[in-house]
Amino acid sequence: MGAGVTLQVFAVTLVFSIPIGILCAIGKLSRFRVVRFLISIYTWVFRGTPLLLQLFFTYYGLAILTNGAISLEPLPAALLTFVFNYAAYFTEIFRAGIQSIGRGQYEASKALGMPHWLMMRRIILPQAVKIILPPMGNEAINLIKDTALCSVITITEILRNAQKVMSRDFNITALVIAACIYLALTFIVILLFRRLEKRFAYYSIK
Amino acid sequence: MEVLKIEKLHKYFGKLHVLRGIDLSVNRGEVVSVIGPSGSGKSTLLRCVDHLETAERGSIEIAGSFLAKADAEGKSVYPSAAEIQQIATSIGMVFQNFNLFPHRSVLENLIEAPVYVKKLSKDEATEKALALLARVGLSDKKDSYPGQLSGGQQQRVAIARALAMEPELMLFDEPTSALDPELIGEVLRVIKDLAKEHITMLIVTHEMNFAAEISDRVIFMDEGQIIAEGDPHGILQNPDNPRIQTFLHKIIDRE
Repeated sequence: MGAGVTLQVFAVTLVFSIPIGILCAIGKLSRFRVVRFLISIYTWVFRGTPLLLQLFFTYYGLAILTNGAISLEPLPAALLTFVFNYAAYFTEIFRAGIQSIGRGQYEASKALGMPHWLMMRRIILPQAVKIILPPMGNEAINLIKDTALCSVITITEILRNAQKVMSRDFNITALVIAACIYLALTFIVILLFRRLEKRFAYYSIK
Repeated sequence: MEVLKIEKLHKYFGKLHVLRGIDLSVNRGEVVSVIGPSGSGKSTLLRCVDHLETAERGSIEIAGSFLAKADAEGKSVYPSAAEIQQIATSIGMVFQNFNLFPHRSVLENLIEAPVYVKKLSKDEATEKALALLARVGLSDKKDSYPGQLSGGQQQRVAIARALAMEPELMLFDEPTSALDPELIGEVLRVIKDLAKEHITMLIVTHEMNFAAEISDRVIFMDEGQIIAEGDPHGILQNPDNPRIQTFLHKIIDRE
């Protein structure tokens, strides 16, 4: 049914975009103005243009632009686009999460002699995770649905499969099934995040 | 022997001249209290000693290492981040708002820095942490999270966390100001016990009776300067300085 491709895009995007998002968030909060500026341009471009346009660009645009020197297969093109698009959103979510941690936590870490990275890893980021879980859940659900966009660059995922079957059989059964698969997948994501939120409920940030 | 030696320290917040030439030494085993009206620069002084603020002029020497060294023109020069972190481990800081790590249990709060900064083994750090928790009377709370504790208990944990690094100098920044009145006593008792054990302490406080009782020396600050210093009896009971008299009267009126 194409669910395999959908899941592949979903998983690969999350696995790569989350670490990129964390690094960019830390970069965006660093004292280096150039780093902050570059990351701001990056998130602006990727959040400010349609994902559909970005898909067209990496699949068709790059090939035209480089006279065929860079010509990606549909799936790699989709993965690349999704990773950088979602990492841009995650950057902003993580940045907000990190910034919501009170100044006192930084001062206490500093007073104990913790180097910056140790403080980020042990004190700030673990607390930021709790705060960003709800918006991350939203993004994960969006990602499931956004994978349908891959159909426009000839990837046969759930929606494109359903479309094919629909025009072959001339009824909407396939479309209903596709909807059910999306619902099932998002339901799993919702359950997963509910469980994660419970796991972080053992403490409260006042 | 001096654990803390501050010379000609100046600190600005923009154009605001917060510290105007502070000279202060604290000897090993000495308990020094800093009192004075709000905005007098007491907390800023403490925060400069712990490198939470950077001074513009003057020097700060902690247990023989310069946190800030005055150059030929008197400007403060700071060492590398790694050296500053090294010096920070010899100072324990207790904040007004405790600043415990909410995602870590009481025991984990205590062993975090000894294990990850001082590279103690987890067993050794745990053993020391349990002894410290017994000392502040919170052995039964070792597996609790800060959010489950009262303010007084949190502050006692914070004191234990600072002590866990075995610092040369303990700094207290208004340790009871955020507490409900009925919880102040338990925290002051812990600090009194430390004074008996001759732990070197610099305490910013509004608790005058407490300051009088435990201090070897009291510093009175106003408008970024040390106006008077001496034994607690002289400063607090029989002040001859009119500014101290006004300040103490205001506090007595409030009470």
